[in-house]
Amino acid sequence: MSKILNFYLNGNPVEVIAKPEQNLLELLRDNIGLTSPKCGCNRGDCGSCTVILDDKAVKSCMVLALTVEGKKVVTVDGLVKGEELHPIQKAFLEYGAPQCGFCTPGMVMAATAFLLENPTPTKYEVKEALSGNLCRCGGYDKYTEAVLAVSRGEFGPVLKGSEINV
Amino acid sequence: MRSYFYESPSSFEELFQIGKTTSNEVKFLAGGTDFVPRLNYELNEVPKEGQKDLTIISLSKLGLDTISESDEEIKIGSMVTFTEMKKNNIVNKYFPVFEETIKELAGLSVRNVATIGGNIMNASPAADIVPTLMALDAVLVLKGPNGEREICSKDFFKGNGRTVAQEQEVLKEIVIKKQKGTSSFKKLGRRKAETLSVVNAAAYIEKENNICKKARITIGSVAPTVLRCKEVEEALIGKELTDETMKEASLKVIDSISPIDDIRATAWYRKKVSPVMVRRAIKSACDAE
Repeated sequence: MSKILNFYLNGNPVEVIAKPEQNLLELLRDNIGLTSPKCGCNRGDCGSCTVILDDKAVKSCMVLALTVEGKKVVTVDGLVKGEELHPIQKAFLEYGAPQCGFCTPGMVMAATAFLLENPTPTKYEVKEALSGNLCRCGGYDKYTEAVLAVSRGEFGPVLKGSEINV
Repeated sequence: MRSYFYESPSSFEELFQIGKTTSNEVKFLAGGTDFVPRLNYELNEVPKEGQKDLTIISLSKLGLDTISESDEEIKIGSMVTFTEMKKNNIVNKYFPVFEETIKELAGLSVRNVATIGGNIMNASPAADIVPTLMALDAVLVLKGPNGEREICSKDFFKGNGRTVAQEQEVLKEIVIKKQKGTSSFKKLGRRKAETLSVVNAAAYIEKENNICKKARITIGSVAPTVLRCKEVEEALIGKELTDETMKEASLKVIDSISPIDDIRATAWYRKKVSPVMVRRAIKSACDAE
């Protein structure tokens, strides 16, 4: 039995009809039409569906859609300010981290959420934080280096949690 | 295809009322990191004939997400996520072993949603939090329509996916007594990050002048449930904790385990590494301060 679901998506309040058996990823892609979170495995292994839920990175295929009632969901689309990319996105571009690009939206979200929590990480911590995101092109090293560069402030100030949730 | 329903009660009365009136299969939802992928899988399959409809009951509004402390014990609500638990000062002050355990458990983005109660009630033999809880002799509090009951963690599991909890009972909280000894958790997976256990083990040791006074050793993923290894404990108590005694004691674990071949490892391999993991857990518990 479908229900009406209210939550905040990239700062905007949305109201959608969701089925009880739907996960958040399906809801975002099929009901709302936001295709930036990708469906890689649909069982929480690959991390390409990662979104930020209340300031924390979560795999959206593992979250039941109806449980996000009243919460704040941010996808890659919410990080861009007009034409201006988020520092993480700039760094990924600069370092040539994405190759095929399928894992990139998930990587961006996982890295952004991680830096909110730990703005000055070590290389090991970055690797650990991104360990839930698989990159079949094997770009892990560049992703790690790019996140470290952002944490050193090379790509401008990193937004605080409250700012990306506006 | 069967129909699905979703409820999110805000009190236990409401929850038991739903359970009483429905004829559907009922599934309690905590974090959902195990249930939702299973549901995704089910939806991709050809629907089975004659399946009952499913009512998913979310436990998120029942206020089970708090950690509290009293003079003798700490109480962890069943809906506390692993990330919250890892950061919690009370937990870290009295049981640093939880940080060690949670670090090894899945990955960051799973731990942000997954809950301790879900990990327990899933009753997977490879659950990572369970060996630690059993080594600390945690008590699990179940709440059902007929009241609450407390069950010691070592008597809680009945098999793969089965616990003593009845259909309508919800795991309310986990109670752990503050203790003198030290403990440690060791996990062996197929890789370092985001993996299920091939073998995991936890140890709790109380010692005086390097003589073992009390020991609780648990091992997971080598039997239908996580096991307490009495033989190992008996071999340790009263002895001096040297590398030699630890090695000798840990070898006793082989008699109590019954591993199987599965996707992660063979029974042969599990038999070989079980004593090693037990020994490492004991050693690290002895060294911990």
